[in-house]
Amino acid sequence: MSFALHRPTSLAAALALAARHGAAARFLAGGTDLVIQIRRGRLAPAHVIDLSAVPGLAGIAGTPEGGLRIGALTTLKAIERHPAFAGGARRALAEAARVVGGHQVRNVGTLGGNVVNASPAADTLPALLALDAEAELVGPGGTRRVPLDAFLLGPGRTDRAPEEVLTAIRLPPPPSAASASAFLKAGRRKAMEISVVCAAARLDLGADGRCVAARLALGAVAPTTLRVRAAEALLEGHVPDAGRLAAAAAAAAAATRPLDDVRASARFRRHLAGVLAGRALAACLGRMGNGEAA
Amino acid sequence: MDGVATERRVVGRRLPRLDGAGKVTGRMVYAADFALPGMLHGKVLRSPLPHARIRRLDVAAARAMAGVRGIVTAADVPAVRYGTAVRDTPVFATDRVLFQGQAVAAVAATTPEIAEAACRAIALELDPLPAVFDAEAALAPDAPLLHPDWASYAALPVLAREGNIAARARMRHGDVEAAFASAHRIYEHRFATPLQHPGYTEPRAAVAAWEGDGRLTVWCNTQLPFDMQAVLAEILDIPSGRVRVVVPGIGGGFGGKLRVGVEHYAALLARRTGRPVKVMTTTEEELTAAYPRQATTITLRTAVDREGRLLARQGRVLLECGAFANSGPGSAAICMQILVGPYRTPALDLESLAVYTNRVAAGSFRAPAGPMANFAVESQMDIIAEDLGMDPLDLRLRNVVREGDLGPAGEALAGVSVAECLERAAEAIGWRERRPAPNRGKGLACSWWMTTGGSSGVFVRLAPDGTATLVSGAVEIGTGALTGAAQVLAEELGLELEDVRVAGADTRDAPFDYGAQGSRTAFSVGNAARVAAAELRRQLCALAARRTGLPQEAFRLERRAVVGGGHRIPIADLARESQLSGGGLIAHGTYINPAPPYDPTRVENHPLPVFNAPSFHAHAVDLSVDPGTGEVTIHDYVVAQDVGFAINPTWIEGQIEGGVAQGIGEALSEEIVYREGRVLNANLTDYKMPTAQDVPRVRSILVECPSAAGPYGAKGVGEPPCIEPPAAIANAIAAATGRRVFSLPMTAEKIVLGEGG
Repeated sequence: MSFALHRPTSLAAALALAARHGAAARFLAGGTDLVIQIRRGRLAPAHVIDLSAVPGLAGIAGTPEGGLRIGALTTLKAIERHPAFAGGARRALAEAARVVGGHQVRNVGTLGGNVVNASPAADTLPALLALDAEAELVGPGGTRRVPLDAFLLGPGRTDRAPEEVLTAIRLPPPPSAASASAFLKAGRRKAMEISVVCAAARLDLGADGRCVAARLALGAVAPTTLRVRAAEALLEGHVPDAGRLAAAAAAAAAATRPLDDVRASARFRRHLAGVLAGRALAACLGRMGNGEAA
Repeated sequence: MDGVATERRVVGRRLPRLDGAGKVTGRMVYAADFALPGMLHGKVLRSPLPHARIRRLDVAAARAMAGVRGIVTAADVPAVRYGTAVRDTPVFATDRVLFQGQAVAAVAATTPEIAEAACRAIALELDPLPAVFDAEAALAPDAPLLHPDWASYAALPVLAREGNIAARARMRHGDVEAAFASAHRIYEHRFATPLQHPGYTEPRAAVAAWEGDGRLTVWCNTQLPFDMQAVLAEILDIPSGRVRVVVPGIGGGFGGKLRVGVEHYAALLARRTGRPVKVMTTTEEELTAAYPRQATTITLRTAVDREGRLLARQGRVLLECGAFANSGPGSAAICMQILVGPYRTPALDLESLAVYTNRVAAGSFRAPAGPMANFAVESQMDIIAEDLGMDPLDLRLRNVVREGDLGPAGEALAGVSVAECLERAAEAIGWRERRPAPNRGKGLACSWWMTTGGSSGVFVRLAPDGTATLVSGAVEIGTGALTGAAQVLAEELGLELEDVRVAGADTRDAPFDYGAQGSRTAFSVGNAARVAAAELRRQLCALAARRTGLPQEAFRLERRAVVGGGHRIPIADLARESQLSGGGLIAHGTYINPAPPYDPTRVENHPLPVFNAPSFHAHAVDLSVDPGTGEVTIHDYVVAQDVGFAINPTWIEGQIEGGVAQGIGEALSEEIVYREGRVLNANLTDYKMPTAQDVPRVRSILVECPSAAGPYGAKGVGEPPCIEPPAAIANAIAAATGRRVFSLPMTAEKIVLGEGG
């Protein structure tokens, strides 16, 4: 295990290093995935570009259009504690951030790292998909934004070019006044746990009680975090009653392509996907009923 | 006792432990921290296959690497086989490898990374052989034979062995056939438990250094320094007096550090290179090549009458040793005592088999045999109660042993408290409301356990300031047991705990001790300390008599002084006087817990037929099961444990809380998962030990029903708390869901989808 460690102090310098070393380089954010993969010999980058000295990559700020911009180096602990996610429409993201690893991991692990690592079991990704997140990337050609579901290509694979830096995750403003989200996770223990299945949902309701927009995303049931459009379609335009929710949950289970592995069988994962999807949707409704929605 | 004050001032109190400050401030040096100048680092090349013939083993390329200082393989070591019960274990694989993880070679280099790279550079070519991965399959007549030369191995004479059976034992009495023929109901169930890692925090570690005169010192975290001394002498083919084993500090062992693990590799590499060598395990080695709890399959058949009285039990224990017997023969046989449980059983016929397979050579994890067999018997007790329409508590109370009853080997039971433990645990958990809400239920389980025998010796020396040093070869494994022994010594000498210092865990300087195993340290070292204290009292009283002209019998020890006849002479004064006139004050004490007499006609080929100074205990749990996800949430957990006498209640409660945490892991989440002889989860991401969030507050009730032999009536404490959790939790899950899981761990998947996927 040996590599050159770079610590650029500007985004321009980071981009120059990335352009020079290309695929031989890796960006280091919190290191909670990268360092383990290097130590286990799964990755052997010749260059590691530490982003911690680049100004402006951490922090959560409102955007002019009413959305949020979360800097890529924002720690999971910062998200867990930020008032923007404490309740209301974006609560799912705090609920997901709160169950990644343990306290030590969340104190250094970053949202950008979690997104770029692109694990099919990542906890924050279903929540981000449910919130219509976009990835903001800066590269030699300037800044571009990519919807997160187009950004995630496969296990450990994203649309990011080696010479690009993921600078932020952007969340749009919720499209209607009544909106709520929820995240749920199933694992063998209550902390330090990689999800056996996780699920995030968001519901936006119009004044007539009909669903204006529905989002449902599942983790650890397919090669990438899975957005279940079939379930969303069953809800949008309808009043989300018990029957609709059950149908959406069944559609979620049917959409999964899970693996049998040491953590669970495919059959159990499919079962859990249906249970968690139904509960996450019900939790959204419950939160709106409690006046918790944004 | 002669010369002791009657009021107890030190024992029974919640005093801080002697090793506490060093541990919580980080000053304590553990074996894993230990280092010497010029030290090399050793790594072990291990077999990637579960069963194969070694076609080629060539270390030339590895030896030529920069930084590599020495390599050893089977060709470089004496052809000895070692082992606790059966001498079946070679230092390195010779012609065949028998499990994934078996050592093939060891490398010493200037850094651990170079040593690891050199291991990868060793050319190891293997031809796979047919292998067997479960105990039942290993019994088949055409199963691959792990040890074709088994008959030539030395072994404990009591063991009955044949082929893949490392040991077969039996316990029986009464007319079993007649009892089954007359039964109101007969129940037969099969239970399975997996390989589970002891989960100590500190990896196994050893630093070995040879002196010019052929003497070896090994600093390591063994639980049994004297056994380690003997085994190393045997492996290295040198007199045991030339081997010194020192245990600086040990970061948990739980039975996983009883046997030679990395010490022999460090010693061999140090001999080869002429430099000190340190070897420390990785997490991957811990989960493929440590000494986990053995996997078992237990069949239990029980006959009862109309009132739920047990008439007879019949059963078979298959315990998988893995590639080498190790502790398997003893653990398999002890399963039988645990299967009988603390229950009156008029007729009995149990058989235990310890069986070789091509998986890791397992070991004796805390209460070996306890959780597995208790899971079987206590699950079945609840099934019987349910079927007969009885309350599970009432069924147990109807059948538990009482004072003076006979145990399974025909021994007379004394200090029997299981009924009290059950009643107090049940009351504390609110047993009368067993299903307080939908998907919520309570469970009970009880058991018994031994206080292991084995001898202890101590020296006690009084310093001229009147303080005492307790020199013992015992290991403070983290339980606080030696603080307990020091409390006993302080009590007996009229001192305060802070006046006692514990030294030892060094085979060169300390008297023999049987080691940190079997819940025996506070019990045996405490008793040896009492013997030494009695001798010191005699010496002190004689000095006081000489000084005052009064008879020796006029004096007693009290508050750091020898007191009597109107005199009060500080112990320090007499200690100084003795340095001038009599070579100082020193005493030797020894103790062995004798095995009780039993009926040999009831027992065949059993290495541990009878429990010394047994303890009794009951656990009760209140939990909920999420019907959708199968997630178990424990609301409340109560342990009522008979400790005989609580020498230090705080550290006993610590043992109970830690044991329950381990037991929750055994019950719900922990398993070393194999597929075709290879470990799938050799990391702590997928080997799931419970976290702080998974373990509830544990409430301890210390029952004190004294033993005749223990110090102040104390019984062994350390192992029992991890015995009952799987059964108690299984019974609560069944109460909550109406469904029962027959194999550990009881994962959410099994609870929701049933077993067998």
